[in-house]
Amino acid sequence: MEFGYMNKWLKVNLTLKEFKDFSISEDILRQFVGGKGIAVHLLWKYVSKLEEKGINVKDFDALSSENMLIFATGPVTGTRSPNSGRHHVMALKSPLTGSIGSGNSGGRWGAKLKFAGYDGIVVIGKAENPVYISIIDGSVEIHDATKLWGKNSVETSSHLRNKHDKKRAGVSCIGPAAENLVPLAVIMNEEHRATGRTGLGAVMASKNLKAIIVEGNNKPIIAKPDEFDLKVKEHVEKLKEHHTTAESLPNYGTAILVNIINQNGMLPTRNWQTGVNPEAEKISGETLTEEYLINKHPCWGCVVACGRKTKVDKGNYKITYTEGPEYESIWALGGSTAINDMGAVIRANHYCDIFGMDTISVGSSIAAAMELNEKGMIPEEDLQGIDLRFGNADAVVELTWMAAFRQGLGFWIGEGSRKMCQHYGAPDLSMSVKGLEMPAYDPRGAKGIGLNYATGNRGGCHVTGYTIAAEILGDVDRFTTEGKAELVKIFQDFTSIVNSSVNCLFLTFALGLDEYAEMICPVTGWDVDSDELLTIGERITNLERMIINKFGITGKDDTLPKRLLEEKMPEGPSKGQTVDLDTMKEEYYELRGWVNGIPSEEKIIELGLK
Amino acid sequence: MKIFVKVFASLRKKYPSVSDLNPLEMEIDKGTTLAQLIARLNFNQEEVKIILVNGLRASVDDIINEESSIISLFPAVGGG
Repeated sequence: MEFGYMNKWLKVNLTLKEFKDFSISEDILRQFVGGKGIAVHLLWKYVSKLEEKGINVKDFDALSSENMLIFATGPVTGTRSPNSGRHHVMALKSPLTGSIGSGNSGGRWGAKLKFAGYDGIVVIGKAENPVYISIIDGSVEIHDATKLWGKNSVETSSHLRNKHDKKRAGVSCIGPAAENLVPLAVIMNEEHRATGRTGLGAVMASKNLKAIIVEGNNKPIIAKPDEFDLKVKEHVEKLKEHHTTAESLPNYGTAILVNIINQNGMLPTRNWQTGVNPEAEKISGETLTEEYLINKHPCWGCVVACGRKTKVDKGNYKITYTEGPEYESIWALGGSTAINDMGAVIRANHYCDIFGMDTISVGSSIAAAMELNEKGMIPEEDLQGIDLRFGNADAVVELTWMAAFRQGLGFWIGEGSRKMCQHYGAPDLSMSVKGLEMPAYDPRGAKGIGLNYATGNRGGCHVTGYTIAAEILGDVDRFTTEGKAELVKIFQDFTSIVNSSVNCLFLTFALGLDEYAEMICPVTGWDVDSDELLTIGERITNLERMIINKFGITGKDDTLPKRLLEEKMPEGPSKGQTVDLDTMKEEYYELRGWVNGIPSEEKIIELGLK
Repeated sequence: MKIFVKVFASLRKKYPSVSDLNPLEMEIDKGTTLAQLIARLNFNQEEVKIILVNGLRASVDDIINEESSIISLFPAVGGG
C-alpha cells in the first residue's frame, strides 16, 4: 500500500527477544482501514492460531505471556488532518473484564510511531527481566529497563526522552499500578494521556514491558495532496465554526458536561443511587476554568485543545502542576463519591496519572465501596480506620494511591468494583457492564446510552457509541426507547471508523461520516463513500463481537446493573425512569443480524468475515 | 410570575455571578415564551442551543407556564 500508511508493522516476541517487520495487504486495509480495525483483524487471526495449538481461549489468562498486545495507528494518523496524533491499543483479553481489551489515547505517540516508520506494533511473550523498546527512525532496539521499574509515568517518560536525547519523542509507558498487576492499570502517554480502560497497563506489565519510545522523520505519503489540503482546510473551518469545538471544549474542557448532565438529572451520584448532585457546580468545567486552570494543552495536531494544565493553590491538596481532570474523571472521583471537592479530585486524578490507573474505574470502585460501607458490608478490620462515608475527600485520595500499591482496602479497589462487590456479598452494587465500570451518564435519563453500555464489546463504555451527542446535546428525545437501537448501531459503527482512522472522537461534534470519507480518500487514493465506511465500521464491530463470543460472552452479558433496570430514578428531572432494555435489545439484535448476542451466519457471510 | 434562570459555559460571560447554586431570580409575565426570555436576557437566539425547563428539553416557542420554573440555558457543548 503506497499511500497513507508506513507499510510496516513490527512484531515483537519478548520471550525470544526477537522482532521482525511484517506488512498488511491492501485488501485487508480496505476491509478494516487501520487502528482498531486492523488490531481486531490480527486478534481474530491470533484466536484461530491459539485454537489450532489446542489453547482454549475461554480459559486463557489475560496476564499470561500468550496474551497479545497491539498498538495501532491508521491512515489518517500523523497527517495534517486535524487531531490525528492518537493511537488505539488492544489486547486479546482484559484482566479486568475477561472480555476484549481496548483503549484509545491522545498525546502524540500515534503520530510519532508513524514518523518512526511503523503503522503498528504487535507484542507477544514475556521478557525475562523488565525491558523497554525504542523505535527511532526505523531502528528498533530492546533495552534493559530494570532501573526504570518502579518509576512513575512522569519520571519514566522524561528519563527516556533525556536518555535518547529526543525531547519531543512519544513515550508510552506503565506506572507502578501496572507493575503491581492492578487490573485497573492503564498505559500512559505523554505523561498525562491514558489508554484508559480495560486494564491494558497490566497486560503490558505482565510482559515485563515498561515503555515504548518512538520518534523519527518519516512521513506518510498522501495520494492526492491537493485534494487533501483542500479538505483539511474545510474540516478545520468547520471545527472553528462549531461552538462545541471552537468555544466550549477549548475554554472549559470536557468538564463542561458536569452541569448539563446534572441539570438533566442524570449525573450518577452516591454510586448511582440518584442522578441529582446538588453541589455539582463545585466540580464543574466552569469552576475548573475559573479557579484551577493554568492553560490548555492540545494533543499533537489538535485544533480543539480540550486538554487542561491545572494547579491547586489552596486547601489540603495543593499541587503546582498537573493535567486534567476530564469530565469522566471528575465525575467518578468527585461526583459518584459525593465529595464535590475539586482540589481532592485533581490530587486523586494526579495519582491515577503518575501511578497509571483508570480514573473511571478507580472512582467508581471507591463509590461502590462507600455504598458497601453505608450498608454495613465491609468489616471494620478491612477499613483499617478509614472513614469511608460518601463525601469524605480524604478517603478518596487515600484509597486511590492504596489501590496502586494494593494496600489494605485499596487491594479491592484495584481489583475493580465487580470483584470487590462479589467479595463483600453485594454484586449488584457494582455499577459495571461485563466488569467494566460505566461512565458518567445515568441511562435512566437517556435510554440509548443504556443500550450502548449493555451491548458494548469491551463493557460499560460511552466512547464506543456516544448517543449522548444526540440524546442530550442534540434533539433526540432522551426518554423514548423508540429508534434507539438504530441510533446505537450507527454510533457504534461510526466510532469503529474513528478509532480505525485513527483520530479524535471529538471531531465528530463537527464532522460526520462524509468528512471521514473526505479524509480517507485523498490520503489513501481509495474511492470510498460514507456508506462503505459504515459497512467497514459494522464489520469491525462484528469481528470484535465474534472474538468475545469465543470467550463465552453472549446475550446474557449484554445487560445493565439491576439498579438501572429495576430501581426508579428517585428524584429530579429523570424521576420515575428505569431502562426498558429488553425492548431496545431485541430491536438492536434484529438490526444487527445477531441471535442472542452472536452474529448470525448470514451476517458473517454478508460482511466477508467467513 | 417568579422564575429562576441558570446560565452555563460561555453564556456566563454576560452573567458571571449566575450559577447552578446562584440562579437569577426574575419576574416574568404569564405567557412569556422562552424566545422572549432569551431576548430579555440579551442573548442572541443562535448562541443559546440547549434550553431546559425544570430539566426537560424545551424549544424557543414554548411558553413558561409554571411558577418557580428553573430555566437552564446552554450554548452548544460537548465532551465525553
